[in-house]
Amino acid sequence: MLFPTLGFLLFFLIVAAAMAVLDTRFTAKKAVLVGASYYFYAQWDWRFCFLLAGSSVVSYLAGQLIDAAPDRRRRQIILGIAVALHLGLLGAFKYFDFFISSANQLARLLGLEHELPFIEILLPVGISFFTFHGISYITDVYRGDVAVCRNPLDMLLYMSFFPQLVAGPIVRAAYFLPQLARPSAEPIPIGPALLLILVGLFKKVVIANYVATGLVDPVFSAPTSYGGPDLLLATYGYAVQIYCDFSAYSDMAIALAALLGFRFPANFNQPYRSQRLREFWQRWHISLSTWLRDYLYKPLGGNRGGRLKTYRNLLLTMLLGGLWHGAAWKFIAWGALHGGGLTVERMLEPWIGRRALSPVAKIVATLVVFHFVCFAWIFFRAEDFGMAALYIGGLAAGWSGGLQQAGPFVVALIALGLAGQFTSDALFDRAATAFARVPSWGLGAVAGIVVALINALGPEGVAPFIYFRF
Amino acid sequence: MVAVERELTETLPTATAPITADAIPLALRRRGASPRQVLAMTIVGIFVLALFASRDLPSWVGGISDERVVERAQTGAIKWDDAMASLGLVRPHEALRAWVSWALELKWSRDPR
Repeated sequence: MLFPTLGFLLFFLIVAAAMAVLDTRFTAKKAVLVGASYYFYAQWDWRFCFLLAGSSVVSYLAGQLIDAAPDRRRRQIILGIAVALHLGLLGAFKYFDFFISSANQLARLLGLEHELPFIEILLPVGISFFTFHGISYITDVYRGDVAVCRNPLDMLLYMSFFPQLVAGPIVRAAYFLPQLARPSAEPIPIGPALLLILVGLFKKVVIANYVATGLVDPVFSAPTSYGGPDLLLATYGYAVQIYCDFSAYSDMAIALAALLGFRFPANFNQPYRSQRLREFWQRWHISLSTWLRDYLYKPLGGNRGGRLKTYRNLLLTMLLGGLWHGAAWKFIAWGALHGGGLTVERMLEPWIGRRALSPVAKIVATLVVFHFVCFAWIFFRAEDFGMAALYIGGLAAGWSGGLQQAGPFVVALIALGLAGQFTSDALFDRAATAFARVPSWGLGAVAGIVVALINALGPEGVAPFIYFRF
Repeated sequence: MVAVERELTETLPTATAPITADAIPLALRRRGASPRQVLAMTIVGIFVLALFASRDLPSWVGGISDERVVERAQTGAIKWDDAMASLGLVRPHEALRAWVSWALELKWSRDPR
């Protein structure tokens, strides 16, 4: 069930009606949200619900056991077992066949004839996200950053809450569980939430869809058929497409949670305006990068063990971050590029350091970071490593022809997507404040008209969000 | 020494520090609505959408997974679209679709003849 569909709209109408009817009965509201979230998840495959429930039970029990353990050593053992269970589940569903395939390739290289069998199981949508939620909770309980969750309903809702269930943002236990302890006294920020939905819809339905179908998909599927200009533009196009697709999902998830009375953390903040690669990771998929920082980079030692260990930790974190995106060498290459880039940036810090940049240097730095990120996206988007190599080879040669694939409309959408990176926050704030002054029925009318316009501008049908497959 | 202290301070866990910023800042959360107003907005929004996007209603209905519902709902959606067409409410939708088709066909230069 995708957000921009009639099925989801009717689903949300029923949930909103239940929230209105239940009004101050907070426990009943949470129970309805758990039921709705499991129904939402069952739309992909009802069998996945058992996996989600199992993951929630493991997290809940591990939290209780860690809290009750008399000494640090036992707490560590319970934490280790619970994290291993979560990672084992993720590994079995997401990475098993990848490791079998890699082992078989290695065996062939070594001249061995025996091949290991694949299990070919369907990847449950959102498994990476709810696994990270579970690990976040038990680690936070172990560290004492969050109180143990005594209410099973709260744990079920934390793990399954439908706005973030299948593609994030990754919401920390310490951030979300306190919101389930008591109903929020704040009013529902209906104006900003509606604006986020409308902006998200436009980014997904119009920009991401047309840039994908009009340029990125055809060029990336046959890179040897195109010259340098199309290849370069398709690289920029993919940078815009993945941003507009993924940030649109986050915008809508944040807005839906807000309409149901919950706060979510920011997940994107105009990442392509970054002047440092480090800054890019503070603006792109913020909930993942902070998760990796706090649950991987810091436990590895962070920057506490001297320069070499810092570089090693950066590289390892980004390699695993790449692997998190998918079971393929191309994602590992993408992670390695970013890890390498961050390491080099760190090495150069004594020279480029934290000094204020001149306006020209800022533009140059932004362009350098943007093009580095675009280069890494080639590995992320290409079908496999070989196609990425062909693509890069094509970029290095064949600049004689003009644009074949990209028409003015698609180029204008790419320009619009990039221009959005440099707009002021005040613009959104002003529009959201203006929306907040309109009565709810008026907002409904505005939303209906704008959604109808966006729908008319977009192609028929909606492609799944890119991050569903992670 | 100062540099070492700074490095250590950066990595120490700060339990009291906020994990991450709220997506909707506090300043924008001061004015708001009740769950009933959210429901009212959703109902009005769906109704207005049905008025102006009736052309796509039959295909949207086809996307609902329950086959028992789809057939009857699609008949209803087609009748609804006919009614909206008779009121002229489908014109903005058709005009925009036509404009997008034209824009997608645009090329950088005309073919030499």
